[in-house]
Amino acid sequence: MGKVRKLPEGVANQIAAGEVVERPVAVVKELVENALDAGARQIEVEFRKGGKTYMRVTDDGCGMDRQDAQTALERHATSKIEKAQDLQRILSFGFRGEALPSIASVSRFRLRTRLRGTSLGTEIVVEGTGAPRIADAGMPEGTVIEVAQLFHTVPVRRKFMKTDRTEAAHIIQLCRVIAVAHPEVAFTLIEDGREVFRSPVCAHLEDRVGEVFGRALVREIMPIEAVEEASAWKVHGLVSQPGRGRTTRAEMLCYVNRRPVDSRLLNYALIESFHTYLARGRYPAAFLFLKIPPAEVDVNIHPAKREIRFRDEGRVRRFVMEALLEHLRAASRGALPQAKPVDPVVPPKPLASSPVQGQPVRRAPGAPTERPAPRTVPSTAGSAVPDCRDGVAGANQPPLPRSAPVAKPEPSPSPRQGSMAAPRAAESGEGIRAWRFIGFLEDRFVLWESPEGLVILHYAAAWERIRFEEILRTFQSADAVRQGLLFPLLLEVDPLSADTLTQVIPIVARMGFDLEPFGRDVFRLSAVPDWFTPEQAESFIREGIRLLREQGRNWKEDAVSVEMAKLAARRAVHGLPAKDPQSARALLARLFACRDPLVDPRGRATFFEARMSDIERRLGL
Amino acid sequence: MKFKINRDHFSSGLQQVLNVVGSRATMPILSNVLIEAKDGFISLTTTNLDLGIRCRVVAEIQESGALTLPVRKLFSIVKDLPSLEVELESHTNHQAKITSGTSIFRIMGIGADEFPPLPDFADEHSFVLPQGDLLRMLKSVSYAQSTDETRFIMNGVYFNFEEGKLTLAATDGRRLAVTSREMEVSPDNLGSLILPAKTVGEVERLLGQGDQVRIAFNERQVAFEISVGGEGKEGGLSESIYLVSKIVEGNYPNYRQVIPKETDLHVKLNRESFANCVRRAALVTSEKSNSIKVRVHDNLMEVTGSSSEVGEANVSLAIDYSGPDVTVAFNPGFLIDPLKALSRDEIIFEFKDELSPGVIRTQDSFLCVVMPLRLN
Repeated sequence: MGKVRKLPEGVANQIAAGEVVERPVAVVKELVENALDAGARQIEVEFRKGGKTYMRVTDDGCGMDRQDAQTALERHATSKIEKAQDLQRILSFGFRGEALPSIASVSRFRLRTRLRGTSLGTEIVVEGTGAPRIADAGMPEGTVIEVAQLFHTVPVRRKFMKTDRTEAAHIIQLCRVIAVAHPEVAFTLIEDGREVFRSPVCAHLEDRVGEVFGRALVREIMPIEAVEEASAWKVHGLVSQPGRGRTTRAEMLCYVNRRPVDSRLLNYALIESFHTYLARGRYPAAFLFLKIPPAEVDVNIHPAKREIRFRDEGRVRRFVMEALLEHLRAASRGALPQAKPVDPVVPPKPLASSPVQGQPVRRAPGAPTERPAPRTVPSTAGSAVPDCRDGVAGANQPPLPRSAPVAKPEPSPSPRQGSMAAPRAAESGEGIRAWRFIGFLEDRFVLWESPEGLVILHYAAAWERIRFEEILRTFQSADAVRQGLLFPLLLEVDPLSADTLTQVIPIVARMGFDLEPFGRDVFRLSAVPDWFTPEQAESFIREGIRLLREQGRNWKEDAVSVEMAKLAARRAVHGLPAKDPQSARALLARLFACRDPLVDPRGRATFFEARMSDIERRLGL
Repeated sequence: MKFKINRDHFSSGLQQVLNVVGSRATMPILSNVLIEAKDGFISLTTTNLDLGIRCRVVAEIQESGALTLPVRKLFSIVKDLPSLEVELESHTNHQAKITSGTSIFRIMGIGADEFPPLPDFADEHSFVLPQGDLLRMLKSVSYAQSTDETRFIMNGVYFNFEEGKLTLAATDGRRLAVTSREMEVSPDNLGSLILPAKTVGEVERLLGQGDQVRIAFNERQVAFEISVGGEGKEGGLSESIYLVSKIVEGNYPNYRQVIPKETDLHVKLNRESFANCVRRAALVTSEKSNSIKVRVHDNLMEVTGSSSEVGEANVSLAIDYSGPDVTVAFNPGFLIDPLKALSRDEIIFEFKDELSPGVIRTQDSFLCVVMPLRLN
């Protein structure tokens, strides 16, 4: 008896502060979120020495009367929820009612607030665990909270703070992240008396991103939007244009119901969606806003609410990825320079010469139809040039034999393609690239003049991408044409490989390799796909086995086809087209007929563009 | 060394040996032609170490000797000389002075002693046959050689001197062309060789300038002595062109076992009409779907092609046939190649079912086996 006792409120608050207020940035976060919840239209954040000595958040929100202001400093006091069920539909940022008392307990704390419509404000000063001092204050409507000498009551925590610069960087990043989510609120951030950024109320997200992250970034991103009307799910925001990645993930920001979150799920969805649109090791810039009913997400799992949990993770992932992929696909065609369409390739049957523009947007057969289609926002990417006659589609040039970008009937798209490939919306009405051929560099690269600057195309990588997609298509279409061999090839392999090979026989058979067991650990290859040189069959199959064994046991047919197609495409270097302007143009047209023209199957970029502005900058112009 | 020579003779001689020299020779000397002046002729020799060619051209020798000069440069100079009369004189430092009309050229060369000699070897086997025959035989099979270097054994034409005949064969694993000709081959002179594709091309180019060609070979090398008609002939070439080449070492695949037995299912066709049918049907095929179907039934042959990109074609030909209805798919190129290379008007086309190879035969012991394409 007497050992267990209730902690004094001050101590309890200090303990809670350990969770909520880890470091200065946490204070700024709590205060700014309160300001936003209070309906502020203007928020000013000031801090000094990384927030260690002083932080101030001023807003023009609704303010509080004296009673409320006092209550707000008590633990678990909040205006935001009333009962447990409210947790299911939290739309405000704060809700636990821990922030203010926690912060007040570990700092010199001054709260000044004036309720909208009243004439007098209230000032409450709390220093450590002492009793609050309350006084009248003259001030504009809204709330000003000043936090000085953070952790002066708990010296232990002071030691855990990093340098001023580090703490400052965290605060700045936080303010940027929040500012982007609220373009309708004017933000000002002041560090040590110097303005870091000041952004007035912005009408568009782009404007805010430009104010906060720099105009250069805005030129490289594009808007996306997808809505599922029935369930009120919505994803929108700005993401990198295809091919314009960043070297770090620093500009990959995700928001759920406007709350910035660290979600592996969303980050992965982003990276995966961009997989074929960015070179290896590059990350997209993204300001991705997911809006879903509050009941679909649990924000109450992390004290600082950075982490969240989705009720149906798979659905979130699908929803976000579908939206991203659709825009990326459209953009990887639309975003690049367009020329006048060449003579449309008329589908063989029927022989009607319907103008391409008139065609309805085709939906892939496998695309889900039970849900309303995500709405597509046309890309505003800057480089679209509608009429440039200089390129391959020049008036006096014969139409290229493979002017593939025009909608082409694919005889029997496999189910996989269907589900992966959303509609090729931008396909119709698109022409061949309006790049002007300049010349070859070192026999490896092709230089083009683009409306935006100089493009350097990696010839072999582009070819690998083209062949990869063609080969994959033949692998996936059920009608592989196989060329019988005069001299069947006997392949002797080690027992483990034999096991692997036996398992994949039906899969490679559909690709066009007729392989059969021929005694112990020996296989007989009697036919190869018609485009394949039989001489290469043996090494190809051996390497294929090695690859599959490296990957483990459970091969899905799709994965096997993709791997084998990658392998075959790597070997297609033999067939690299001649290095002359005509072939280069034809190759370019074929490249942009690809689903993912920006990188080759190995993840190397197929080309990059040196923009005129970059060139001028380098030349000091 | 000093000689006078007719410009056109000189340039035609150089043209014979020019091809051997690659544009990127590994050693500078290999870009040069060895010129040796002696006894009323100059002989011109080039080599890339795998393949060497020598020819002789009539010239008025004033001082015998030898020198090597860069062959491509020399050829372009000689071709462009103003006068038919050309004089070439060598100086110290391996310099050559070429005088023709009012033009004088001085060209730097390399000493003749640095030039790798063409190998002389003991002929183990030696045969003589008319150039026209060999040319025809080579042309009727050489298109079937493999061009992929991973199975080098197929990168060439197989020569087999067997009892009573010479057989030539070429294959790339998907089609096989074989032709043979009766010939006296004594039992101790039996032998076979694989002639590399590059040499095949050179031999085909050089053949046909005279009557006879002598082939001599051992286990590593082969020599062709291609006669070029009598002296004083147009072009100024004299006696014979001598070509030495490495041979592809290894065992040629046993092609005999893949030749199907003659079957009842066959049609006689006019070569050109058949070729035209295939070519027309192939017009609508594409890189992606490069196949045509040949269907024979009721005195009719139908050749069809189709691709999703272009459309369809159906070309038919009246034939004499009353057997079962058979359809076989082929790569159109594999049918057109032999039909183009042959010269006889009548060919026999054999087939069995959609999984069995098609065979094109002629009366003069030529055949081409083409593996079908299997469509699902």
